[in-house]
Amino acid sequence: MNAVHIIGPNDLILITGSNGFIGVRVVQLLLEYGFTNLRCFVRPSSELERLRETLNRFPAAKNVQLMFGDLLSREDCVKAATGVSIIYHLAAGFDKSFAGAFMGSVLTTRNLMDAFLAHGQPKRFVNVSSFAVYSNLNMKRGSLLDESCPLEDAPQERFNAYGFGKLKQEELVKEYGTKFKLPFVILRPGVVFGPGSRGLNGRMGTDVFGFFINVGGSNVLPLTYVENCAEAIVLAGLRPGIDGEIFNVVDDELLTSNQFLRAYKKTVKSFHFIWLPYTVAYCFSLLWEYYSRKTKGQLPPAFNRRRCSAEWKGNRYSNVNLRQRLGWKPRVNMEKAMAMFLEQFERPAG
Amino acid sequence: MLRIAIVGCGKIADQHVQAIGRIADCRIVSLCDREILMARQLGERFNVQECFSDLAELLTKTSPDVVHITTPPQSHFSLAKQSLDSGSHVYLEKPFTVTADEAQSLIRLAEGHNLKITAGHNYQFTLEMIEMRQLVAKGFLGGNPVHMESYWSYNLQDPVYAKPVLGDRKHWVRQLPGQLLHNIVSHGIAKLVEFLDDELIEIVAKAHQSPELLRLGEEEVFDELRVLIRDARGTTAFFCFSSQIKPGLNQLRLFGLDGSVLVDHTTGSLIPYVNRSYKSYLTYFIPPINSARIHFRNARRNFFAFLGRRLYQDYGMKELIERFYNSIRSNAQPAIPYREIILTARIMDEVFTQIGGNTR
Repeated sequence: MNAVHIIGPNDLILITGSNGFIGVRVVQLLLEYGFTNLRCFVRPSSELERLRETLNRFPAAKNVQLMFGDLLSREDCVKAATGVSIIYHLAAGFDKSFAGAFMGSVLTTRNLMDAFLAHGQPKRFVNVSSFAVYSNLNMKRGSLLDESCPLEDAPQERFNAYGFGKLKQEELVKEYGTKFKLPFVILRPGVVFGPGSRGLNGRMGTDVFGFFINVGGSNVLPLTYVENCAEAIVLAGLRPGIDGEIFNVVDDELLTSNQFLRAYKKTVKSFHFIWLPYTVAYCFSLLWEYYSRKTKGQLPPAFNRRRCSAEWKGNRYSNVNLRQRLGWKPRVNMEKAMAMFLEQFERPAG
Repeated sequence: MLRIAIVGCGKIADQHVQAIGRIADCRIVSLCDREILMARQLGERFNVQECFSDLAELLTKTSPDVVHITTPPQSHFSLAKQSLDSGSHVYLEKPFTVTADEAQSLIRLAEGHNLKITAGHNYQFTLEMIEMRQLVAKGFLGGNPVHMESYWSYNLQDPVYAKPVLGDRKHWVRQLPGQLLHNIVSHGIAKLVEFLDDELIEIVAKAHQSPELLRLGEEEVFDELRVLIRDARGTTAFFCFSSQIKPGLNQLRLFGLDGSVLVDHTTGSLIPYVNRSYKSYLTYFIPPINSARIHFRNARRNFFAFLGRRLYQDYGMKELIERFYNSIRSNAQPAIPYREIILTARIMDEVFTQIGGNTR
């Protein structure tokens, strides 16, 4: 066993969501770290070009297993987790409905953890969560949002199915840690960007009315470049002595919403947008929320104070824990990360 | 106060909870899902304390007046039977059952127990459908429809419903005799059935795969269906289900001896066509102006319905549930006559037999 890793290079590692935007990079980094006994779990319907392209670059990847299945199936989870030492659980429920998101994030995780405990050799379960679990409703603008900050306590009011799924997923993972001594680590990436992700994040504004409204332009975005994020995830699985810990994942030299938008407009496309002060957005959200409640959902509570706060209030972010506990530092600095993100728009979408 | 239970806490259950929340004098008392975590997540979000993973336990411990069954159709028959046998009225999501025989058995059982049962054909009760029914009842068509057409479109890119089905060969929808079609077409067929005679002379069904579905690599699922129906009174009907037509169509057209009517669910519009002719070139000027007036009237009606908080998503579901509850309270006939539920199931049986069930 490597002195700084909890497993040896031949121990079996399972990666769920391995064909996803971050998952492919996690697989790539594990191969770069010298771990070749990998099992990549993918959905039967997945188009695997991205993953196969990555595997083809590593001669040592010839032994990497591709496993097709559904994490909602306990049988598939048993097959996936048998003999595994570390699970990187990146698969998530992106369904727009609460029930769908819950199934995709919670039931899958429960099945996987059960199978891991019963049929694996559990050294660590790395659960990739999200910033969406935080609530900054009662925090001041510009205050530090770190791992100790409060979590969302009314996800239904926030009207964010994905965040709800992630919140409940985290609760379940922690419960398994307490009840069944499952060794786990939770990562909460901020806004993950890079080649392969072409849209503008909701933290910069919204285009729900057919034109872009920029809110909180001077807010710092909790950005993390996809390779930097993947490295944090990989290290969270390997580093000793961090069981039960939680890490926010953000890069250094974070950009503001205005800075990001300026670079995007300059390189990708110029477009007009309306700037809305945060206070106005908050009042609008308050009125929308009131009307939605009063009419029992005639308008769904798509705009509400919790969402407005979470996305546009503006906080500061820190990666101190990540650096100190995992020994992580960004592989790619922000300038280069932005250049690589923007470069993809010079090529046709793939 | 009617005490309600919901069995099956997946995606559609949220809509039921919200619709029930808009109806006076009823309360959801318990939830059930084979997967207890699913019941709990719904209960947590809507403040329902009693959650079960076993229907028998729910029925014994909470004795609901009405059970809403929102599980996959394969379980509808057994769960509905269990609920009826324990003395609860039943609201069954569409499709009512997998086969017409099951539908008939359930209805007989409900009648035997002096209980009510209904099918989740909520599109029958949208604002425009209710208005259409009033128009037809006044004799606008001039008798029974001569011909009817029902169009139903489906977006294969829909991330909530279509993609999970297409991405998973083990998905419960794929296990139905009519697969994707089986889970969807009852809405469109039920609208025709309302005006069809029980005695059907002819049903001709043809199905095929769209090029888009083939491109997605699907080899087992049909996504294009055309059905021709003729009843003993001579009324003919055409049903079209398509994943390709753009913009998406969700329409019912009734053609009568005196007038015709178009119900458009997509825009919430009712467009009556009056049998009137105009001299010479006036036929090119007056009818379009009349059409504009009718469209404006629809927009105005919808606008005021919105302001009056009568227009909202799933209005049809709330209306159907409310009418069903009222029929329970007053021991009246349910909003959807049983003959329509059975006839819809019979037509679906025949369609899936003709198109070859699970084989392409």
